[in-house]
Amino acid sequence: MTLYEGMFLLDNQVVRADWAKAKGLVSDAVTKHGGTVATARRWDERKLCYPIAGKKRATYVLSYFELESAGIAGLRRDLELSESVLRYLMLRVEAIPEGEAEKSEAENAEGFSFPVPPEDDEPEATPEPRPAKGAEKESAAKDADEDDSDGEGEPVMAGADDGSDDDRKQEEEA
Amino acid sequence: MAFRSRPISPPIGSKHCDDPKLDYKDLAYLQRFLSPQAQILSRKRTGFCAQCQRELKQAIKRARHLALLPFIG
Repeated sequence: MTLYEGMFLLDNQVVRADWAKAKGLVSDAVTKHGGTVATARRWDERKLCYPIAGKKRATYVLSYFELESAGIAGLRRDLELSESVLRYLMLRVEAIPEGEAEKSEAENAEGFSFPVPPEDDEPEATPEPRPAKGAEKESAAKDADEDDSDGEGEPVMAGADDGSDDDRKQEEEA
Repeated sequence: MAFRSRPISPPIGSKHCDDPKLDYKDLAYLQRFLSPQAQILSRKRTGFCAQCQRELKQAIKRARHLALLPFIG
């Protein structure tokens, strides 16, 4: 068994719904592949330096777990397929840092309450106005085509008419 | 930004290489080694030895992967 340090970015919508369930996503994934979770705690909730999957904020979960090296590939595959885990980083470490176990236990205590993530991680553009804009563009393009076709036809006809008029005038003068 | 020909002094003095504590979670410390455009500073600017500069590079790239630090500032 090898000791690993894992940092997982969790979707704030999942965290907001149920923190225990969100935290369980990571623990369950590790135990599924034969590992044991030593500590797992909420590291931070912060604004991302760049949006990931349309999310501007995410919750970081720091975990230390023991796992056979053969189980890492399966764990990676599960995390990649999970939509709740935006990113992850797993590193092999020598030992659990001091104070990490105490922080994890403090979080698991009954009286612990974590701040609810803010609501500003919604996508910017709503899906409704997009088709309306496209429809307007299509109709505008059709109108433009029709105008162009009319415009192209008119000068030819006008030119032909003008020419015929001139001929008629010349004939009349003669 | 004007180019600084003189290297900046290492943050933990010259003894930094004896006890490197570069961690991708220590963002306030890592940000000292980024340019205003979030580029990793060169060894000439950081004053690190080659090994510590590699560890610094690795820590900053891990933090970038987790969106803790920007790729472009």
